[in-house]
Amino acid sequence: MDKTPNNPEHTRGGCGLDVTAYALGALDAADAEAFAAHLETCAMCREELVEFEAVVATLPMSVPQHTAPDSLRRRVLDTVQQESHQAVTAQERGAPRWAWLTRITVPRPALAIGAAVAVLALIVLGGLALGPSSSPGTHVYAAQVTGATGTAQVKVTGGHAELVLRHFSPPPAGKIYEVWVARPHHSPQPTSALFSVTSQGNGDVGVPANLRGVNVIMVTPEPPGGSRVPTHSPVILARLA
Amino acid sequence: MAQIPGAGDAHHSDRLQFIIVFRAPKSPRSSQSQLPTRADEDLMALVQGGDAQAFEIIFDRHADAAFSLAYRMCGRRGMAEDVVQDAFLSLWRSGARYDHRRGSVRSWVLKVVHNRAIDAFRRASVHTGRDVVDDGLTERMTASEDTGAEVQRREEAREVRSALDELPTEQRQVIELAYFGGFSHSQIADMLKLPAGTVKGRMRLGLDKMRNVLGDLAGATV
Repeated sequence: MDKTPNNPEHTRGGCGLDVTAYALGALDAADAEAFAAHLETCAMCREELVEFEAVVATLPMSVPQHTAPDSLRRRVLDTVQQESHQAVTAQERGAPRWAWLTRITVPRPALAIGAAVAVLALIVLGGLALGPSSSPGTHVYAAQVTGATGTAQVKVTGGHAELVLRHFSPPPAGKIYEVWVARPHHSPQPTSALFSVTSQGNGDVGVPANLRGVNVIMVTPEPPGGSRVPTHSPVILARLA
Repeated sequence: MAQIPGAGDAHHSDRLQFIIVFRAPKSPRSSQSQLPTRADEDLMALVQGGDAQAFEIIFDRHADAAFSLAYRMCGRRGMAEDVVQDAFLSLWRSGARYDHRRGSVRSWVLKVVHNRAIDAFRRASVHTGRDVVDDGLTERMTASEDTGAEVQRREEAREVRSALDELPTEQRQVIELAYFGGFSHSQIADMLKLPAGTVKGRMRLGLDKMRNVLGDLAGATV
């Protein structure tokens, strides 16, 4: 296909102009949708789009090159390692009940003490958590933050809870935050939510748990891969009442 | 608190169990020492199986390019870091979506970074465009690894930069506003007080010239 000059009819007809704007992602939503439908019927545009997308794909190469910060590398790879361990842990859950104990690096007396402290904190701090503010369909509960900086809220909508953290301290080195739910007269139950926060200290974390009967949502720092019982007292505690 | 089972077990027994539980999985993570020599596409197949070591190599190969693009788009170091973190974690969690028939791993990574940066612009309702803030970052003048691939990559980068720099200013401007700024053609038309058709025309002319100058290089990067 002769690329220079362009087919005048193609370019004058409008679609030849749209194809480059589309390749750059610069069409407004409605125009992009219309052009995507046009692609179904215009072989010339389809062919050109492939070529122009290839040109657009070179644009990142034109920017000044910087070295990615080490802190970024640590954050990303720590999270990946933790999630990888979590996946392995999940696969192993068919193992004998005692097996999970061997995966926790904290000495067992410390584990027991830490868990006891966490439960005590539940009892003591539970009464300090603030009540909800509401918008239609959504209840927002301010959470008690202890041993960390920043703010935390729990938003509950339609049986789904989300933790919203702002300017929150990152977990201690070598730890990850783990989300727990608790019901009256029961020990906290772990969820699969393990998380860190962004460099700005922000995080929006879904709470993957059935909320029926749950009166407390809390967060503790835990070893990579998470724990089955809390090993630290909670840094976030929200009472849903 | 319930009694913890096994609390009175011998210490050496705990250690033994610990080692057994944490032994390296056999498949598909064997031959870890050979991972650094493997192609991106092969590593992605391992990442899709949850191999964190393979992902680490992918990260190290492409993080600088990803961060450089994000920083060019966001103009702020913290925002660029968040964009790259978000992009790589989404790649880790959705590695199965990578299809080698649709391009290289690098172009896939950069496309995800580009999309995430634009999402971040929309959330923050800010566009810093090309006015990057001087927050201590300096351009990396030399590659950390002077491999043949890296030398070729730098040569290709020079070609692309030259092709972009040689465009008439008005064509380069609309392309940069669209791609690096995340602006739509109508937003650019408003900014520059031009008819929307003129903006599209300049995009077309500019990309056409780059297509002709770059030739095969454009096809090789996808």
